Amino acid sequence: MKVNEVPQDETFYEGVKRACYALDNEGKYIIIPSSGWSAEEVVNGLAVDELKNKLEETRMDVIKGLKSPLAYHMEQRQMTPEILAKTVGMFSFRVRRHFRPEIFAKLKPSVIKRYALALALTEQELKSVPDTIEER
Amino acid sequence: MTTETTASGKHFIHHHAAHCETGVTSALLRDQGIDISEPLIFGIGSGIFFGHLPFIKIVGLPITTFRSQPGSIFRKAGKRLGVKFVTKRFRNPQKGMEELRRVLREGNIVGLTVNIYWLSYFPRRFRFQFNGHNLIVLRETVTGFRISDPVLEHPVDCLTEDLERARFARGPLESHGFMYYLQRIPQTIDIREACIAGIKDTCNMMLKIPLPILGIRGMRYLAKKIKSNPQKLGFDEACRHLANIVRMQEEVGTGGAGFRFMYAAFLQEAADLFSSADLARISVEMTSIGDLWRNFAVVSARVIKQRGGLGDNIDKVSELMQECAAREEKLFKNLQDVVRKLKA
Repeated sequence: MKVNEVPQDETFYEGVKRACYALDNEGKYIIIPSSGWSAEEVVNGLAVDELKNKLEETRMDVIKGLKSPLAYHMEQRQMTPEILAKTVGMFSFRVRRHFRPEIFAKLKPSVIKRYALALALTEQELKSVPDTIEER
Repeated sequence: MTTETTASGKHFIHHHAAHCETGVTSALLRDQGIDISEPLIFGIGSGIFFGHLPFIKIVGLPITTFRSQPGSIFRKAGKRLGVKFVTKRFRNPQKGMEELRRVLREGNIVGLTVNIYWLSYFPRRFRFQFNGHNLIVLRETVTGFRISDPVLEHPVDCLTEDLERARFARGPLESHGFMYYLQRIPQTIDIREACIAGIKDTCNMMLKIPLPILGIRGMRYLAKKIKSNPQKLGFDEACRHLANIVRMQEEVGTGGAGFRFMYAAFLQEAADLFSSADLARISVEMTSIGDLWRNFAVVSARVIKQRGGLGDNIDKVSELMQECAAREEKLFKNLQDVVRKLKA
Protein backbone atom coordinates (compact mmCIF):
# COMPACT_ATOMS: atom_id res chain seq x y z
CA MET A 1 0.00 0.00 0.00
CA LYS A 2 1.35 3.41 -0.98
CA VAL A 3 0.80 6.60 0.98
CA ASN A 4 -1.76 7.93 -1.49
CA GLU A 5 -3.63 4.62 -1.40
CA VAL A 6 -4.37 4.82 2.33
CA PRO A 7 -8.17 5.06 2.47
CA GLN A 8 -9.62 8.30 3.84
CA ASP A 9 -13.32 7.48 3.74
CA GLU A 10 -15.84 8.97 6.13
CA THR A 11 -16.96 6.11 8.34
CA PHE A 12 -17.73 5.43 11.97
CA TYR A 13 -14.48 6.68 13.53
CA GLU A 14 -16.09 9.87 14.92
CA GLY A 15 -13.07 11.97 14.03
CA VAL A 16 -10.55 9.50 15.45
CA LYS A 17 -7.85 8.33 13.06
CA ARG A 18 -6.15 4.97 13.05
CA ALA A 19 -2.57 4.36 12.03
CA CYS A 20 -1.81 2.55 8.78
CA TYR A 21 1.57 1.46 7.49
CA ALA A 22 2.21 2.63 3.93
CA LEU A 23 5.13 3.18 1.55
CA ASP A 24 6.29 6.74 0.84
CA ASN A 25 7.81 7.93 -2.45
CA GLU A 26 11.21 6.49 -1.60
CA GLY A 27 9.74 3.09 -0.77
CA LYS A 28 10.12 3.54 3.00
CA TYR A 29 7.39 2.46 5.41
CA ILE A 30 5.81 5.28 7.39
CA ILE A 31 2.67 5.65 9.51
CA ILE A 32 -0.24 7.45 7.88
CA PRO A 33 -3.41 8.24 9.87
CA SER A 34 -6.52 6.98 8.12
CA SER A 35 -10.06 8.22 8.73
CA GLY A 36 -11.64 4.93 7.71
CA TRP A 37 -12.22 2.53 4.84
CA SER A 38 -15.51 1.84 3.05
CA ALA A 39 -14.82 -1.91 2.77
CA GLU A 40 -14.37 -2.05 6.52
CA GLU A 41 -17.54 -0.01 6.96
CA VAL A 42 -19.54 -2.67 5.07
CA VAL A 43 -18.48 -5.55 7.30
CA ASN A 44 -18.62 -3.52 10.49
CA GLY A 45 -22.06 -2.18 9.57
CA LEU A 46 -23.30 -5.73 9.09
CA ALA A 47 -22.17 -6.72 12.58
CA VAL A 48 -23.54 -3.55 14.17
CA ASP A 49 -26.95 -3.92 12.49
CA GLU A 50 -27.13 -7.49 13.68
CA LEU A 51 -26.53 -6.46 17.29
CA LYS A 52 -29.01 -3.61 16.96
CA ASN A 53 -31.75 -5.87 15.62
CA LYS A 54 -31.21 -8.37 18.37
CA LEU A 55 -31.29 -5.64 21.00
CA GLU A 56 -34.52 -4.21 19.60
CA GLU A 57 -36.05 -7.70 19.62
CA THR A 58 -35.13 -8.09 23.29
CA ARG A 59 -36.57 -4.65 24.04
CA MET A 60 -39.88 -5.65 22.46
CA ASP A 61 -39.83 -8.92 24.44
CA VAL A 62 -39.43 -6.93 27.64
CA ILE A 63 -42.36 -4.68 26.72
CA LYS A 64 -44.47 -7.74 25.92
CA GLY A 65 -43.55 -9.19 29.30
CA LEU A 66 -41.58 -12.17 27.98
CA LYS A 67 -38.21 -11.12 29.38
CA SER A 68 -36.99 -8.98 32.26
CA PRO A 69 -35.27 -5.61 31.71
CA LEU A 70 -32.08 -7.26 32.95
CA ALA A 71 -31.82 -9.21 29.68
CA TYR A 72 -32.01 -5.95 27.73
CA HIS A 73 -29.40 -4.12 29.79
CA MET A 74 -27.02 -7.05 29.66
CA GLU A 75 -27.22 -7.17 25.87
CA GLN A 76 -26.88 -3.44 25.68
CA ARG A 77 -23.56 -3.73 27.51
CA GLN A 78 -22.55 -6.41 24.95
CA MET A 79 -22.28 -8.98 27.72
CA THR A 80 -23.23 -12.64 27.83
CA PRO A 81 -24.88 -14.29 30.85
CA GLU A 82 -21.47 -15.79 31.69
CA ILE A 83 -19.68 -12.43 31.75
CA LEU A 84 -22.49 -10.80 33.75
CA ALA A 85 -22.52 -13.70 36.21
CA LYS A 86 -18.78 -13.36 36.82
CA THR A 87 -19.11 -9.60 37.23
CA VAL A 88 -21.84 -9.82 39.88
CA GLY A 89 -20.41 -12.98 41.43
CA MET A 90 -23.29 -15.38 40.86
CA PHE A 91 -23.73 -18.63 38.97
CA SER A 92 -24.78 -18.08 35.38
CA PHE A 93 -27.89 -20.27 35.74
CA ARG A 94 -29.07 -17.87 38.44
CA VAL A 95 -28.51 -14.88 36.16
CA ARG A 96 -30.43 -16.65 33.38
CA ARG A 97 -33.27 -17.29 35.79
CA HIS A 98 -33.48 -13.57 36.47
CA PHE A 99 -34.30 -12.99 32.81
CA ARG A 100 -37.81 -14.22 33.63
CA PRO A 101 -39.89 -11.12 34.46
CA GLU A 102 -41.88 -12.71 37.30
CA ILE A 103 -38.67 -13.75 39.07
CA PHE A 104 -36.91 -10.44 38.37
CA ALA A 105 -39.86 -8.56 39.91
CA LYS A 106 -39.40 -10.37 43.22
CA LEU A 107 -35.65 -9.78 43.55
CA LYS A 108 -34.35 -8.36 46.79
CA PRO A 109 -33.05 -4.74 46.62
CA SER A 110 -29.56 -5.97 47.49
CA VAL A 111 -29.46 -8.19 44.39
CA ILE A 112 -30.80 -5.37 42.21
CA LYS A 113 -28.05 -3.18 43.59
CA ARG A 114 -25.38 -5.69 42.59
CA TYR A 115 -26.72 -5.83 39.04
CA ALA A 116 -26.92 -2.03 38.83
CA LEU A 117 -23.32 -1.75 39.95
CA ALA A 118 -22.12 -4.39 37.50
CA LEU A 119 -23.88 -2.76 34.55
CA ALA A 120 -23.01 0.81 35.60
CA LEU A 121 -26.66 1.86 35.75
CA THR A 122 -28.88 3.36 38.44
CA GLU A 123 -31.37 0.98 40.06
CA GLN A 124 -34.20 2.93 38.42
CA GLU A 125 -32.67 2.51 34.95
CA LEU A 126 -32.23 -1.21 35.54
CA LYS A 127 -35.92 -1.77 36.26
CA SER A 128 -37.21 -0.41 32.95
CA VAL A 129 -36.26 -0.25 29.29
CA PRO A 130 -35.90 3.00 27.29
CA ASP A 131 -38.36 3.96 24.55
CA THR A 132 -35.75 3.54 21.84
CA ILE A 133 -32.53 1.59 21.90
CA GLU A 134 -29.53 3.72 22.67
CA GLU A 135 -25.97 3.06 21.61
CA ARG A 136 -23.63 3.18 24.53
CA MET B 1 3.86 12.77 17.86
CA THR B 2 2.88 14.75 20.96
CA THR B 3 4.96 15.60 24.01
CA GLU B 4 3.55 15.06 27.48
CA THR B 5 4.93 15.35 31.01
CA THR B 6 4.95 12.37 33.35
CA ALA B 7 4.57 12.36 37.14
CA SER B 8 8.30 12.74 37.59
CA GLY B 9 8.36 15.81 35.35
CA LYS B 10 10.12 14.02 32.51
CA HIS B 11 9.03 14.41 28.93
CA PHE B 12 7.19 11.58 27.25
CA ILE B 13 6.76 11.49 23.49
CA HIS B 14 3.52 9.94 22.34
CA HIS B 15 3.79 8.05 19.03
CA HIS B 16 0.73 7.04 17.04
CA ALA B 17 0.86 3.27 16.55
CA ALA B 18 -1.18 0.73 14.63
CA HIS B 19 -1.45 -1.90 17.32
CA CYS B 20 -1.89 -1.52 21.08
CA GLU B 21 0.48 -4.20 22.41
CA THR B 22 3.45 -3.41 20.15
CA GLY B 23 2.79 0.32 20.53
CA VAL B 24 2.90 0.14 24.33
CA THR B 25 5.99 -2.08 24.44
CA SER B 26 7.90 0.16 22.06
CA ALA B 27 6.80 3.33 23.92
CA LEU B 28 7.98 1.94 27.30
CA LEU B 29 11.40 1.19 25.80
CA ARG B 30 11.62 4.47 23.92
CA ASP B 31 10.93 6.30 27.15
CA GLN B 32 14.14 4.78 28.52
CA GLY B 33 16.11 6.01 25.54
CA ILE B 34 16.18 2.77 23.56
CA ASP B 35 15.14 3.71 20.05
CA ILE B 36 13.06 0.79 18.93
CA SER B 37 10.09 1.16 16.63
CA GLU B 38 6.71 -0.54 16.71
CA PRO B 39 7.41 -2.81 13.69
CA LEU B 40 10.70 -3.96 15.26
CA ILE B 41 8.88 -5.02 18.42
CA PHE B 42 6.26 -6.72 16.26
CA GLY B 43 8.90 -8.73 14.39
CA ILE B 44 11.06 -9.53 17.43
CA GLY B 45 8.00 -10.65 19.40
CA SER B 46 6.85 -12.83 16.45
CA GLY B 47 3.51 -11.06 16.17
CA ILE B 48 2.48 -12.18 12.71
CA PHE B 49 0.45 -15.36 12.52
CA PHE B 50 -2.66 -16.93 11.10
CA GLY B 51 -5.19 -19.17 12.74
CA HIS B 52 -8.81 -20.17 12.34
CA LEU B 53 -10.40 -21.51 15.52
CA PRO B 54 -13.75 -23.03 14.59
CA PHE B 55 -14.49 -24.26 18.11
CA ILE B 56 -14.05 -20.91 19.92
CA LYS B 57 -16.97 -18.68 19.07
CA ILE B 58 -17.85 -15.06 19.70
CA VAL B 59 -21.50 -14.17 19.01
CA GLY B 60 -21.79 -17.52 17.25
CA LEU B 61 -18.95 -16.84 14.81
CA PRO B 62 -15.63 -18.70 14.82
CA ILE B 63 -12.47 -16.71 15.52
CA THR B 64 -10.00 -15.97 12.74
CA THR B 65 -6.78 -14.39 13.91
CA PHE B 66 -3.96 -12.72 12.00
CA ARG B 67 -1.70 -12.35 15.02
CA SER B 68 -0.28 -14.46 17.81
CA GLN B 69 -2.02 -14.77 21.14
CA PRO B 70 -2.56 -11.52 23.13
CA GLY B 71 0.31 -10.82 25.51
CA SER B 72 2.81 -13.03 23.71
CA ILE B 73 4.42 -10.23 21.68
CA PHE B 74 5.16 -8.30 24.88
CA ARG B 75 6.52 -11.41 26.60
CA LYS B 76 8.65 -12.66 23.73
CA ALA B 77 10.04 -9.25 22.80
CA GLY B 78 11.04 -8.60 26.42
CA LYS B 79 12.77 -11.95 26.66
CA ARG B 80 14.63 -11.67 23.37
CA LEU B 81 15.85 -8.14 24.09
CA GLY B 82 16.88 -9.08 27.63
CA VAL B 83 14.65 -6.39 29.14
CA LYS B 84 13.17 -7.07 32.55
CA PHE B 85 9.64 -5.91 33.35
CA VAL B 86 7.90 -5.88 36.71
CA THR B 87 4.48 -7.47 36.17
CA LYS B 88 1.61 -7.58 38.65
CA ARG B 89 -1.92 -8.95 38.84
CA PHE B 90 -4.44 -8.30 41.60
CA ARG B 91 -7.40 -9.96 43.23
CA ASN B 92 -8.60 -6.81 44.88
CA PRO B 93 -9.40 -3.81 42.62
CA GLN B 94 -8.74 -1.34 45.45
CA LYS B 95 -5.24 -2.68 45.96
CA GLY B 96 -4.67 -2.67 42.21
CA MET B 97 -5.52 1.03 41.96
CA GLU B 98 -3.42 1.91 45.01
CA GLU B 99 -0.43 0.09 43.62
CA LEU B 100 -0.85 1.89 40.29
CA ARG B 101 -0.84 5.27 42.09
CA ARG B 102 2.20 4.29 44.13
CA VAL B 103 4.22 3.22 41.09
CA LEU B 104 3.22 6.40 39.24
CA ARG B 105 4.34 8.55 42.18
CA GLU B 106 7.73 6.87 42.03
CA GLY B 107 8.06 8.36 38.57
CA ASN B 108 7.42 5.33 36.39
CA ILE B 109 5.07 5.15 33.46
CA VAL B 110 2.94 2.05 33.64
CA GLY B 111 1.51 -0.27 31.00
CA LEU B 112 -1.94 -1.76 31.67
CA THR B 113 -3.99 -4.50 30.06
CA VAL B 114 -7.65 -3.50 30.09
CA ASN B 115 -11.11 -4.16 28.70
CA ILE B 116 -11.78 -1.85 25.76
CA TYR B 117 -15.55 -1.60 26.29
CA TRP B 118 -15.33 0.57 29.39
CA LEU B 119 -12.91 3.13 27.92
CA SER B 120 -15.29 5.94 27.10
CA TYR B 121 -12.71 8.00 25.21
CA PHE B 122 -13.02 5.61 22.24
CA PRO B 123 -15.68 6.07 19.57
CA ARG B 124 -18.72 3.89 20.32
CA ARG B 125 -18.12 1.39 17.57
CA PHE B 126 -14.54 0.69 18.64
CA ARG B 127 -15.82 -0.52 21.98
CA PHE B 128 -16.65 -4.17 22.56
CA GLN B 129 -16.08 -6.68 25.35
CA PHE B 130 -12.46 -7.54 24.74
CA ASN B 131 -10.04 -7.88 27.64
CA GLY B 132 -6.76 -7.57 25.76
CA HIS B 133 -6.31 -3.86 25.09
CA ASN B 134 -3.07 -2.19 26.23
CA LEU B 135 -2.33 1.42 27.19
CA ILE B 136 0.15 3.50 29.17
CA VAL B 137 -0.71 5.59 32.23
CA LEU B 138 1.44 8.71 32.44
CA ARG B 139 0.27 10.41 35.64
CA GLU B 140 -2.68 10.98 37.91
CA THR B 141 -4.90 14.01 37.30
CA VAL B 142 -7.63 15.63 39.39
CA THR B 143 -10.45 13.44 38.06
CA GLY B 144 -8.56 10.43 36.82
CA PHE B 145 -5.48 9.56 34.85
CA ARG B 146 -3.58 10.89 31.86
CA ILE B 147 -3.39 8.07 29.32
CA SER B 148 -1.19 7.52 26.31
CA ASP B 149 -3.17 5.08 24.20
CA PRO B 150 -0.95 4.21 21.22
CA VAL B 151 -3.94 3.53 18.98
CA LEU B 152 -5.00 7.18 19.29
CA GLU B 153 -3.18 10.16 17.79
CA HIS B 154 -2.87 12.11 21.05
CA PRO B 155 -2.85 11.38 24.80
CA VAL B 156 -6.26 11.50 26.50
CA ASP B 157 -7.84 11.78 29.95
CA CYS B 158 -9.67 8.89 31.55
CA LEU B 159 -11.90 8.93 34.63
CA THR B 160 -10.77 6.85 37.61
CA GLU B 161 -14.07 4.99 37.59
CA ASP B 162 -13.76 4.03 33.91
CA LEU B 163 -10.19 2.87 34.32
CA GLU B 164 -10.99 0.77 37.36
CA ARG B 165 -13.86 -0.93 35.53
CA ALA B 166 -11.69 -1.51 32.47
CA ARG B 167 -8.86 -3.01 34.49
CA PHE B 168 -11.00 -5.36 36.52
CA ALA B 169 -13.65 -6.35 33.97
CA ARG B 170 -14.54 -10.03 34.05
CA GLY B 171 -14.99 -12.46 31.18
CA PRO B 172 -12.78 -14.39 28.78
CA LEU B 173 -9.05 -13.55 28.97
CA GLU B 174 -9.61 -11.33 32.00
CA SER B 175 -6.53 -9.34 32.93
CA HIS B 176 -6.98 -9.06 36.75
CA GLY B 177 -5.64 -5.51 36.57
CA PHE B 178 -2.44 -6.65 34.85
CA MET B 179 0.17 -3.88 35.03
CA TYR B 180 3.80 -3.75 33.95
CA TYR B 181 6.71 -1.34 33.99
CA LEU B 182 10.40 -1.50 33.25
CA GLN B 183 12.62 -2.79 36.00
CA ARG B 184 15.98 -3.08 34.37
CA ILE B 185 17.44 -2.63 30.93
CA PRO B 186 20.68 -4.37 30.03
CA GLN B 187 23.70 -2.23 29.19
CA THR B 188 23.84 -3.40 25.64
CA ILE B 189 20.85 -4.56 23.69
CA ASP B 190 21.52 -6.80 20.76
CA ILE B 191 18.68 -5.97 18.41
CA ARG B 192 20.13 -8.04 15.59
CA GLU B 193 20.20 -11.24 17.61
CA ALA B 194 16.66 -10.59 18.81
CA CYS B 195 15.53 -10.10 15.19
CA ILE B 196 16.98 -13.45 14.18
CA ALA B 197 15.25 -15.22 17.07
CA GLY B 198 11.97 -13.49 16.20
CA ILE B 199 12.12 -14.38 12.51
CA LYS B 200 13.01 -18.02 13.19
CA ASP B 201 10.14 -18.39 15.60
CA THR B 202 7.74 -16.77 13.12
CA CYS B 203 8.79 -19.13 10.31
CA ASN B 204 8.24 -22.12 12.57
CA MET B 205 4.82 -20.90 13.64
CA MET B 206 3.69 -20.25 10.08
CA LEU B 207 5.11 -23.42 8.50
CA LYS B 208 5.70 -26.11 11.09
CA ILE B 209 2.76 -26.35 13.51
CA PRO B 210 1.27 -29.77 12.77
CA LEU B 211 -2.36 -28.67 13.06
CA PRO B 212 -4.56 -27.98 10.05
CA ILE B 213 -6.00 -24.77 11.50
CA LEU B 214 -2.83 -22.79 12.26
CA GLY B 215 -0.30 -21.05 10.04
CA ILE B 216 -0.37 -21.50 6.27
CA ARG B 217 -2.38 -24.71 6.71
CA GLY B 218 -5.02 -22.67 8.50
CA MET B 219 -5.36 -20.33 5.51
CA ARG B 220 -5.90 -23.24 3.15
CA TYR B 221 -8.39 -24.79 5.54
CA LEU B 222 -10.31 -21.53 5.83
CA ALA B 223 -10.26 -20.95 2.05
CA LYS B 224 -11.89 -24.35 1.54
CA LYS B 225 -14.38 -23.63 4.27
CA ILE B 226 -15.36 -20.28 2.69
CA LYS B 227 -16.06 -22.13 -0.54
CA SER B 228 -18.22 -24.80 1.02
CA ASN B 229 -20.03 -22.52 3.48
CA PRO B 230 -22.85 -21.37 1.14
CA GLN B 231 -24.00 -24.97 0.60
CA LYS B 232 -23.68 -25.83 4.25
CA LEU B 233 -25.03 -22.74 5.96
CA GLY B 234 -26.93 -20.87 3.26
CA PHE B 235 -25.74 -17.74 1.52
CA ASP B 236 -26.66 -15.20 4.21
CA GLU B 237 -24.96 -17.10 6.98
CA ALA B 238 -21.89 -17.65 4.77
CA CYS B 239 -21.75 -13.87 4.27
CA ARG B 240 -21.88 -13.34 8.04
CA HIS B 241 -18.90 -15.65 8.46
CA LEU B 242 -17.01 -13.95 5.64
CA ALA B 243 -17.74 -10.51 7.07
CA ASN B 244 -16.32 -11.62 10.39
CA ILE B 245 -13.06 -12.72 8.76
CA VAL B 246 -12.68 -9.37 7.03
CA ARG B 247 -13.45 -7.58 10.31
CA MET B 248 -10.68 -9.46 12.09
CA GLN B 249 -8.35 -8.56 9.23
CA GLU B 250 -9.05 -4.86 8.93
CA GLU B 251 -10.58 -3.70 12.19
CA VAL B 252 -8.60 -1.21 14.26
CA GLY B 253 -5.21 -2.35 15.43
CA THR B 254 -3.79 -4.20 12.47
CA GLY B 255 -2.05 -1.41 10.56
CA GLY B 256 -3.84 -2.73 7.45
CA ALA B 257 -4.12 -6.12 5.77
CA GLY B 258 -4.11 -8.19 8.96
CA PHE B 259 -0.66 -7.02 10.16
CA ARG B 260 1.00 -7.90 6.82
CA PHE B 261 2.07 -4.28 6.16
CA MET B 262 3.48 -3.97 9.66
CA TYR B 263 5.53 -7.11 9.11
CA ALA B 264 6.77 -5.74 5.79
CA ALA B 265 7.84 -2.61 7.68
CA PHE B 266 9.71 -4.82 10.14
CA LEU B 267 11.48 -6.69 7.34
CA GLN B 268 12.48 -3.37 5.83
CA GLU B 269 14.02 -2.18 9.09
CA ALA B 270 15.72 -5.55 9.55
CA ALA B 271 17.12 -5.31 6.02
CA ASP B 272 18.75 -2.01 6.99
CA LEU B 273 20.11 -3.46 10.24
CA PHE B 274 21.76 -6.40 8.49
CA SER B 275 22.32 -4.54 5.19
CA SER B 276 20.72 -7.54 3.57
CA ALA B 277 19.34 -7.27 0.04
CA ASP B 278 17.52 -10.57 0.53
CA LEU B 279 15.46 -9.22 3.43
CA ALA B 280 14.66 -6.06 1.44
CA ARG B 281 13.38 -8.23 -1.41
CA ILE B 282 11.21 -10.28 0.96
CA SER B 283 9.82 -7.05 2.44
CA VAL B 284 8.70 -5.95 -1.04
CA GLU B 285 7.03 -9.33 -1.57
CA MET B 286 5.30 -9.05 1.83
CA THR B 287 3.91 -5.66 0.80
CA SER B 288 2.42 -7.10 -2.34
CA ILE B 289 0.92 -9.99 -0.34
CA GLY B 290 -0.58 -7.33 1.91
CA ASP B 291 -2.08 -5.66 -1.14
CA LEU B 292 -3.56 -9.02 -2.09
CA TRP B 293 -5.17 -9.33 1.36
CA ARG B 294 -6.62 -5.82 0.87
CA ASN B 295 -8.03 -6.99 -2.43
CA PHE B 296 -9.51 -10.01 -0.66
CA ALA B 297 -11.27 -7.59 1.72
CA VAL B 298 -12.56 -5.41 -1.14
CA VAL B 299 -13.96 -8.35 -3.11
CA SER B 300 -15.48 -9.84 0.06
CA ALA B 301 -17.17 -6.53 0.89
CA ARG B 302 -18.60 -6.38 -2.65
CA VAL B 303 -19.92 -9.93 -2.41
CA ILE B 304 -21.53 -9.16 0.93
CA LYS B 305 -23.05 -5.89 -0.26
CA GLN B 306 -24.35 -6.92 -3.67
CA ARG B 307 -25.03 -10.52 -2.85
CA GLY B 308 -23.13 -11.72 -5.91
CA GLY B 309 -23.45 -9.46 -8.95
CA LEU B 310 -20.80 -8.30 -11.42
CA GLY B 311 -18.98 -11.62 -11.53
CA ASP B 312 -17.85 -11.45 -7.90
CA ASN B 313 -18.68 -14.56 -6.00
CA ILE B 314 -17.62 -16.58 -3.01
CA ASP B 315 -15.52 -18.92 -5.17
CA LYS B 316 -13.39 -15.98 -6.23
CA VAL B 317 -12.95 -14.91 -2.60
CA SER B 318 -11.82 -18.42 -1.73
CA GLU B 319 -9.34 -18.44 -4.63
CA LEU B 320 -7.88 -15.14 -3.45
CA MET B 321 -7.23 -16.62 -0.03
CA GLN B 322 -5.63 -19.70 -1.59
CA GLU B 323 -3.35 -17.37 -3.52
CA CYS B 324 -2.42 -15.54 -0.30
CA ALA B 325 -1.63 -18.90 1.31
CA ALA B 326 0.55 -20.04 -1.60
CA ARG B 327 2.51 -16.79 -1.71
CA GLU B 328 2.97 -16.58 2.05
CA GLU B 329 4.18 -20.17 2.16
CA LYS B 330 6.81 -19.36 -0.45
CA LEU B 331 7.77 -16.19 1.38
CA PHE B 332 8.25 -17.81 4.78
CA LYS B 333 10.24 -20.72 3.29
CA ASN B 334 12.42 -18.16 1.59
CA LEU B 335 12.74 -16.16 4.80
CA GLN B 336 13.76 -19.29 6.68
CA ASP B 337 16.63 -19.85 4.23
CA VAL B 338 17.72 -16.22 4.45
CA VAL B 339 17.63 -16.04 8.24
CA ARG B 340 19.92 -19.06 8.55
CA LYS B 341 22.64 -17.13 6.75
CA LEU B 342 22.32 -14.00 8.93
CA LYS B 343 24.86 -13.39 11.66
CA ALA B 344 24.09 -11.43 14.78
